[in-house]
Amino acid sequence: MLDMQTFKEITTSDHDLVDGAQRRLRATGLRKRFGVVEVLHSVDLDLMAGEVHALLGENGAGKSTLINMLSGRILPDSGQVELDQQVVNFNNPLAAKRAGVSIIAQELELVPTLSILENIFLGAEPTKFGIIRWGEAREKVAAVLNELGIDAEPSRLTRTLSIADQQLVEIAKAIIGDFRVLIMDEPTSALNLEETSRLFKIISRFKAAGVAILYVSHRLWEVFDIADRVTVLRDGEVVQRSLIKDTNTARVIQSMLGPKSSLISGATGRPKRSSVRSAVPVFEVRELNSGRILTNVSISVDAGEVVGLAGVLGSGRTELCEAIYGLRKVDPGTKILIKGRAVELDQPKKSSRHGIFFLTEDRKQEGIFPQLDLRENVVLPNVLDRSDRAKTNSVARSNLVKVTGFGVVSAQDELSRFEEMRRSLNIKCSASRNNVTQLSGGNQQKVLFARGRIAKPFVMILSEPTRGVDVGAKEEIYAAIDQLAGDGTAIIVSSSEIPELLRLCTRIWILRHGKVVSEVNSAETDEEAILETMAG
Amino acid sequence: MFRSVLKSESLASLIALVVVAIVFTAINGRFLSRLNIEGIIVSASISAIVSLGMTFVIAMRALDLSVGSIMGFVAVIAATMLSHDVSLSIVIAISLLAAAGLGLANALLITWLRLPSFVATLASFSVILGLSLIITHGATVTIHNRTLSELVIGRIYGLVPSAALIAAVVFGVMAMLFFRTPFGRHVAATGGEARAAIGAGVNIPRITTGVFVISGALAGLGGIMTAGMLQNADSTIGSGAELMSIAVVVVGGTSLMGGRGNLPGTVLAGFLLSSIKSGLNVANVPSLYEGLVFGGILITALMVDGMRRTERRKGMLVV
Repeated sequence: MLDMQTFKEITTSDHDLVDGAQRRLRATGLRKRFGVVEVLHSVDLDLMAGEVHALLGENGAGKSTLINMLSGRILPDSGQVELDQQVVNFNNPLAAKRAGVSIIAQELELVPTLSILENIFLGAEPTKFGIIRWGEAREKVAAVLNELGIDAEPSRLTRTLSIADQQLVEIAKAIIGDFRVLIMDEPTSALNLEETSRLFKIISRFKAAGVAILYVSHRLWEVFDIADRVTVLRDGEVVQRSLIKDTNTARVIQSMLGPKSSLISGATGRPKRSSVRSAVPVFEVRELNSGRILTNVSISVDAGEVVGLAGVLGSGRTELCEAIYGLRKVDPGTKILIKGRAVELDQPKKSSRHGIFFLTEDRKQEGIFPQLDLRENVVLPNVLDRSDRAKTNSVARSNLVKVTGFGVVSAQDELSRFEEMRRSLNIKCSASRNNVTQLSGGNQQKVLFARGRIAKPFVMILSEPTRGVDVGAKEEIYAAIDQLAGDGTAIIVSSSEIPELLRLCTRIWILRHGKVVSEVNSAETDEEAILETMAG
Repeated sequence: MFRSVLKSESLASLIALVVVAIVFTAINGRFLSRLNIEGIIVSASISAIVSLGMTFVIAMRALDLSVGSIMGFVAVIAATMLSHDVSLSIVIAISLLAAAGLGLANALLITWLRLPSFVATLASFSVILGLSLIITHGATVTIHNRTLSELVIGRIYGLVPSAALIAAVVFGVMAMLFFRTPFGRHVAATGGEARAAIGAGVNIPRITTGVFVISGALAGLGGIMTAGMLQNADSTIGSGAELMSIAVVVVGGTSLMGGRGNLPGTVLAGFLLSSIKSGLNVANVPSLYEGLVFGGILITALMVDGMRRTERRKGMLVV
């Protein structure tokens, strides 16, 4: 029964479950707060023996936090976890593993300089008198490697493996030894169909053996293929829990999106510009290839146009942005054209000379200069030394901050440029000399955005422009993006939030496994359609 | 061809060793004399022992700059105790314990104060050197007792100096420890990808402590052996040994990026660099030039290490 007011649908209760099944894991009232934001509000979850339980939700819904709590990677602020009726408190991953909770992590956790075999047994090496028995380890693992279809020699270093094989090794690591609960976080994101179906066979075997499986995936068809029950999280709360046979894809997507799903399909906030496309786009990428990560990607963007990149984690979205900006090596044959003229962008400094700006999704690590104040964070990267100024094209050069004849940055120009940005982007700070780390996430993001804007870039690449930004600041950043496009900058936005892409972009490219699978006009599509294409 | 040599670092060291022997013999036939060869074996054994400890440190992606000062300190206290007629076995036991204790102190600086190993061991280097100077007042302590030197340069069955046997035993134990025990594999895992190691339940402070205790103890062993070889000790005995052993480890094929350790390579490179040192001697190159030569070798080895890394990165864009 779908409650239209709250968009909650809880249809199973304890007795609905598989008859007589034993409860393996029960989590009650789990809460977690990061800083001032509570990301999980009292979540309950139970996993039965022999059950595949799907956990779904949009990015930021709290899935990872929940999984990390169950596997001992983070501690809950309150609530408790019981494993086979015993209350447990895991304060590290090993404790969870020893108690029988095994996890296939989403991000690969392999040691690249160790062999397949060494990685699989890391921390659990079979020993006799303190000496590792590699022969025994090899025997133990042979069947699992075979079942997973890993052909490589167990002595091969994992850094020499493909991403898919690395993911399979990660799976092997989790399923060796004894466990009662298996948590799988996007286990198939790098696997092809054949590898996926092999994994599903293994999952069925565990089901039969009474293991409780928590399965997280963006691929809805997989979930409907393999799961018995589904729990949907939205904004840190359970909004749907039902038997798979009692629900369908549309309803699950609706619970994931919540009330906003009806708003989004309305016309509000759609880009107003009708993009009259010129014969030659101002910026074009043709047949971009990059190792095993990106295959034959072609995109183009016009002056004043905002285009989007959509795709699940691991689809190559982020890597594409990096490749365009010169942070990632591209294969020969890739063409990047500015106004129809081929350019080589193999280094970020070359890209910035052509007036291309990149806003990273990793603000803390790759964005802000934490030791510098606000003014310097905005202005400094726009100051170039003499030799670099000479190589910069004339339009971009005129926007650089003035440097006096003695090579000293003009403090006056620096301040006035900063003040201009602070006003137009509404950066909330008490003084231009404040340290940038004192600002909220949203204001830090505005600082980075200002850094790009000050140079009036020709092309701006924005990766997750509103990650970790609150709702009010989000709108301000959207407005700033619109305004920048209005000034004629060509903008590429990569985002995991589909509503954001629909709000900002005229066209959206959907990536899967490093390939463009669809190019859609955002006026002619909606979030559900995009999510389905992304999931494949 | 060049690439395959790069990959089999040990083979490269072996070839270089042969080339070095041929070149220096051509310059001065004395290079292959029994006395000179024995000298090379003793100093190479000491260098290999100290560098085997450093191999563990570098495999963990750390550095130990205090090994030279530990060698000097241990040599000085051993010599002082021997001159006071303390029995040799007690001298050796106390010296090795002291060296291991200094390694433990390094580990505590790193794990408790969370200092980078480079900084922590640079500081302890200075402290330990200062202690040695205070003990000796800057003077040289002569060892009159010959039992220690017999243990180092005495021949086994009249064949090779016993230092070689000590080095062989240390190599065997270290290789077993590194490749065949959970501790050794956890050292490599910590250096290769600390996050993955933590995820697998590796106790990184404990591993760090073990590694620096080993490095300290082996530096101490090297220090006692050096004192035995020279029949005297002063605080400068290990000066420059830290850079030398880093050079030996890198020439031996262990990357400064950590994650792997080539122990046989370290032993071979110890012999290679000791041969070069001795060769320069018999070729009458003034010892003033030694620093220049070994600095050059270290830079070359680091360049080769850098090239190997770029090779890998091109093959695997992701890691």
